[in-house]
Amino acid sequence: MKKIKITFLILIILINSILFTGCWNYREIDQVLIVAGLAVDKGINDQYKFTVEIAQISGGKDSKTTSKTITAEGETMFDAARNLISLSGKRLYWSHAKVIILSRKVAEEGVEKVIDWYTRDSETRENVFLLVSEEATAKEIFDVESTTEGIKSFILGEMIKNQVSLSKAPITDILQYGIESKTKEISTIIPAVSLKKMNDKMVAQVMGSAIIKNNKLAGFLNGDETKDLNFIRNQVKGGVLTEEMQTDNGPALASLEIFKSNTKVVPAADGNKIKIDLNIETTVAIDEIEGVENLISEEQQLKLEKSTENTLKKQIQELIRKVQSEYGADIFGFGEKLREDKASQWKRVSNNWEDVFKDLKVNVETKVHIKNSAVLS
Amino acid sequence: MGDIMSKNIEKEALDNSLDNNIALFKRVFKDDETVIFREFQNKWLKAARCCIIYVDGMVNTEIVNENIIQPVLRSDLSENMESENLLKEFQSKIVVSNDVKTETAIDAIVKSVVYGDTLFLLDGYAEALVISSKGWQSRSISEPECAKVVRGPREGFTESIMVNLSLVRRKIKNSDLKFKFKEIGERTHTKTCICYIKDLASDDILSELERRLDQIDIDGIIDSGYIQELIRDAPYSPFETVGSSERPDIIAAKLLEGRIALFVDGSPFVLSVPYVVVENFQSNEDYYNNYIFGSMNRLIRGFTAVTAITVPAIFLSIVAYHQEMLPTPLLLSISASRQGVPIPTAVSLFLMLFIFDILREVGIRMPAPIGQAVNIVGALVLGQAAVEANLVSAPVVIVTALTGIMTLINMNFLSATIIFRNFLLLGASVLGIYGFFMCIVIMYLHLMSIRSFGVPYMMNVTRAKNSDGQDAWIRAPWWTMTLRPKIIAAKNLVRQSSAKSKEK
Repeated sequence: MKKIKITFLILIILINSILFTGCWNYREIDQVLIVAGLAVDKGINDQYKFTVEIAQISGGKDSKTTSKTITAEGETMFDAARNLISLSGKRLYWSHAKVIILSRKVAEEGVEKVIDWYTRDSETRENVFLLVSEEATAKEIFDVESTTEGIKSFILGEMIKNQVSLSKAPITDILQYGIESKTKEISTIIPAVSLKKMNDKMVAQVMGSAIIKNNKLAGFLNGDETKDLNFIRNQVKGGVLTEEMQTDNGPALASLEIFKSNTKVVPAADGNKIKIDLNIETTVAIDEIEGVENLISEEQQLKLEKSTENTLKKQIQELIRKVQSEYGADIFGFGEKLREDKASQWKRVSNNWEDVFKDLKVNVETKVHIKNSAVLS
Repeated sequence: MGDIMSKNIEKEALDNSLDNNIALFKRVFKDDETVIFREFQNKWLKAARCCIIYVDGMVNTEIVNENIIQPVLRSDLSENMESENLLKEFQSKIVVSNDVKTETAIDAIVKSVVYGDTLFLLDGYAEALVISSKGWQSRSISEPECAKVVRGPREGFTESIMVNLSLVRRKIKNSDLKFKFKEIGERTHTKTCICYIKDLASDDILSELERRLDQIDIDGIIDSGYIQELIRDAPYSPFETVGSSERPDIIAAKLLEGRIALFVDGSPFVLSVPYVVVENFQSNEDYYNNYIFGSMNRLIRGFTAVTAITVPAIFLSIVAYHQEMLPTPLLLSISASRQGVPIPTAVSLFLMLFIFDILREVGIRMPAPIGQAVNIVGALVLGQAAVEANLVSAPVVIVTALTGIMTLINMNFLSATIIFRNFLLLGASVLGIYGFFMCIVIMYLHLMSIRSFGVPYMMNVTRAKNSDGQDAWIRAPWWTMTLRPKIIAAKNLVRQSSAKSKEK
């Protein structure tokens, strides 16, 4: 009797553990369509218009991977996603998607509405990058020819990833967006994608950023502004600073490669007045001086450091002023910092932070070190 | 003893008449024309009529001619009549042989004669002399084909048990090395020999081995494999629980670790017990080479044993269930190779692995001259053509080839590898990585439950203590291996006294 009981117990545990697992369907890899990227537009009747780029793989000896787009509409995102099956025949496989491109209209209506399905579904992943199209629709990004061979979404993904050595666009995936947008004090930015004419052909370019305030698109910043923004957000990992120099042989442009940058945001309260101290310390190296040799002398380097500091400071102050007056969106994360460092002050101003932010006094200090001078031996 | 031969002749007995005795043996060896009866007489002593009986081909004719017949014919026996017992005189003064016994029991005599001894009958005596004259042809000592080493002794066991014993004896020159003979097989009377070092071997394991050997009731033993299967633990498991080796150095080393060896006449494979799982991965070369190199090689063997079992199942579960675990470029290339392939990945994996096993078996069975043809058919037609014809995808062929090669590194592990590889593959094809791990757990539980002569089969595999692990996954330097394997050599654990190793 005891033996039977134990056998039954083991059987129940075994059967339960089999039945209560997640997705476990056997599916051959060639039976699914691999989604590379997704573009969301607004269609007729306010429906979502869904364009997916799918990897099209031809087998055989010289296999080639090309891409193809499919467009479907639906009332909700998931509805649209499933409607795609009626056009493709095969199930779509989302785990390897790299980018989601939102059209301007969709982003203005609310980003969270769109990505909600993507964060909740079991087959999708949260490391997919978000993009906002500066063009009329998101779909046309997929329609242009790509600069290099391959699937456009994957190339876009690479473009965003490699911003670490350019810093002219933010790197925002869905997970990060979700975390930042839930923290109500700060607004977020996501990279912007636009079309650019190159050799009579239109190509996609990831440059600049879109300001998302209260989950809605508020405006765009260009690439250089985004770089300055990244300085404030302490997200500069690489990139180039150019600085004009007066030399004996006339004016020249120096390119400084950024190696390391560290930004300290220190909120301070002077009575009821809140002000922010920004300390930016950047280590650069001279990479290019347009052939002007005497720039390498120490005196010249110090001069170059000073002028670069001033230029950077001016640019950053300009950006802060622009964002404060035009958008009033705290994309710098000052509010977050204030909450961390000066909780009592934050409690006082948190209710009308937007107004406070608009009049916030920001003191910018920049420091540039030139690490080496690229001496030609 | 339920001896079949003795049943026919148990009524018979020797008597005083030589003619009767000859007639008796002619009856015993009726229809056996290899038995030679040679009668002769001493010219000085006419009463000394004698007859020798031996089996042609089993004896060394030089011994028979020069050491038995010649002394009897040429000696002046009339001077040697001091004793009443002429047969005793023959034994002590005439016959030139290192081993002469007086024997009366017919079955014992018959056994000796068929094993190459010469029987000496003398008229007037109901006794016989059994003179050792074994001298058959046997293979010379050579390096075993299947266990070659780059560095190490080049000798291997032969089919002759006495030669094999001498090979081990030469390595361990100590009176503590004990040999106990036992005959197994009612018809074959196969000589077996239990060999151990008295100081080291566990008495319990020894008596258990003897008990299991005594329980064997079989008519014939042709190879030690029969005994290996008859005395093993976990008889239904594909994992070997009795070791076997063709090399005297390995057996000597195992004896020095406190294990017990079992020699079987006619088989160059000597058994050793107890046998634990790590011994599958130990090679004698590990101990002869630099310990770093030895450890590296042993890790490779352990790693391949694990991967040979798991790789097809992991591949299948990722490709068919968990595509999200693949890096995107890999996913695309695997997907490209699958385009237009009609057979599901799971089926093609089973199929290709089965074909590989067929090729492996063919490689052993086929006559060597046609090997080339089979290789070409196997490698080209099945591998390349199948991919080109889009019957299987290229990654499946790669996985199969990789698995096949890795399987062959550990030949001791072959049956377990093949069985559990298919078992895991089945689990993976039904439930993905989840089913794979379920089967892994089952396999692990099975391994943990096996014992070999009371010693846990997985001994030292999962232990973190230094002295346990130093000869398991790695081979530690000799000066640190001061202890013998525990449990097996529980009687005398210390191999190097610590004082000595500190001097080092």
